Amino acid sequence: MTSIDVRDLTKEYGTRRAVDDLTFTVPPGRVTGFLGPNGAGKSTTMRLVLGLDRPTSGSARLGGRPYASLPQPLRTVGALLDADAALGSRTGRDHLRVLAATHRIPDRRVDEVLEETGLTPAARRRVRTYSLGMRQRLGIAAALLGDPEVLMLDEPSNGLDPEGIVWIRGLLRRLADEGRAVLVSSHLMNETASFADHLVVLGRGRLLADTPMREFIDARVRPAVRVRTSDSDALENALARHGHQAVHHPEGHWTVPDARVDDIGRLASAEGVPLLELTADEGTLEQAYLDLTAADTEFTARPQEA
Amino acid sequence: MPFAPVFRSEWLKIRTVRSLLATLFALFAVTTAFSAIASLEPEDQGADPLFTALSGTALGQVAAVAFGSLAVSAEYREGAAVRLSLTAVPRRGLWFGAKTAAIAAVVLVVALVTSLAALFAGLAGLGDAADGPTTAESVRGVGGGAVYLTLMALFAAGLATLLRSGVATLSVLIPFILIVSFVVGDALGAVADFMPDRAGQAVLRAEPDGTLGPWAGLAVTACWTAAALLAGAWRLRRQDA
Repeated sequence: MTSIDVRDLTKEYGTRRAVDDLTFTVPPGRVTGFLGPNGAGKSTTMRLVLGLDRPTSGSARLGGRPYASLPQPLRTVGALLDADAALGSRTGRDHLRVLAATHRIPDRRVDEVLEETGLTPAARRRVRTYSLGMRQRLGIAAALLGDPEVLMLDEPSNGLDPEGIVWIRGLLRRLADEGRAVLVSSHLMNETASFADHLVVLGRGRLLADTPMREFIDARVRPAVRVRTSDSDALENALARHGHQAVHHPEGHWTVPDARVDDIGRLASAEGVPLLELTADEGTLEQAYLDLTAADTEFTARPQEA
Repeated sequence: MPFAPVFRSEWLKIRTVRSLLATLFALFAVTTAFSAIASLEPEDQGADPLFTALSGTALGQVAAVAFGSLAVSAEYREGAAVRLSLTAVPRRGLWFGAKTAAIAAVVLVVALVTSLAALFAGLAGLGDAADGPTTAESVRGVGGGAVYLTLMALFAAGLATLLRSGVATLSVLIPFILIVSFVVGDALGAVADFMPDRAGQAVLRAEPDGTLGPWAGLAVTACWTAAALLAGAWRLRRQDA
């Protein structure tokens, strides 16, 4: 199967470095979340992989070949870059037929991907009449057209309704399980956490992290235990006696940092503290991400990517 | 990647957009109608009957130019459809060649029918008032007129690729065709005969009165078209999409 190989990739627009010496691999069989704030270089990297923009230096290859040299590119890579790429005056189905014609993909396949993306009822309507969510689905349909081994989707859940977001999660999972390489960019943490196995994190064009998602979170967020009790004083005293510095939240619960549920549960039981709730407070991707980027104060002030 | 499927894709692009088809219809309707009107009331009796019968071409070319530029500029609107097109066909030279060929084929067919219809409408309007053009002159006028319209459409397509904008292309070409060539053209004398539109229109005359003969004139227009297409191809190949 084919993977995406980015090596020492650099792209400068004038004096601005949009992508700075980037190296990573997107292997088959898993969903790689491509994370970073707006303007971090995610879209630029995707355009470089597709040969739309020329790198200043370095390379991006698909199964060892540059995109432009693929004999049938749509059968190797399916990409969603921009939901607005379809001309408003064409019908959704015709938009896909135009793309399909370049690879001699039959109309039967066009109807299949329309079905798969739930666009069949709107297939013969002009794209102008589509909602953003529908245009996003049309873009995904276009990416699936050639049954490609590699999928590269830029913010695919943009504009999707909640049902659509659940659908795309399942779709990404299935595509990866079928052995395809899937790269999905997003600037939304919770969403990325819901589908990614692996993370490639960018900041100002540079690679900040390239790790499995679980490791990324565990390495950056200390585990904690969340406790709720009917006897706050007893809990605080009991925890203090065992060297825990619990934090009380105005909502009524306590957080015990650097602790495990097993320990706190036994401790509370031994001390006779009544517990109403006891849960492991696992780190979220958001926390881990903010920890990673906290050092880099310029982050939030970056202008939006054009 | 073979040429034929890419050509078919570009042909489908034209066929599936109503505004492009409307422009082609306008090419036919405007050219034929104005040929008929001009022939009913020729400005002076000594006028070239072939040129009078095909005079709608001068206005019809606006539609040809609009078609050529719109067919290209559809790729450069918001959302940059061109990126999707180049994702499907990453070989930019091949893609541009197929697009150019599709535009040329469509305009040539429509323009042949148009020129023929305009000639008949024009000759019917002139009636027996003037000596009609010979058959050879008529064939040359119709065929040459169709090629001329095709070259103008491609000239616009090349310019639109260079400028990446239909609006910019039309704001350069339409005033040029409708005003500059007419008004300034006379003042410039012989130089004006080498303007892209004036040169090619020599082919519409039974007896060209300018510096260039019918085929030489068409060749000059072809050079302008080639230059515009090459400039467009240069920008397409060289720059980020």
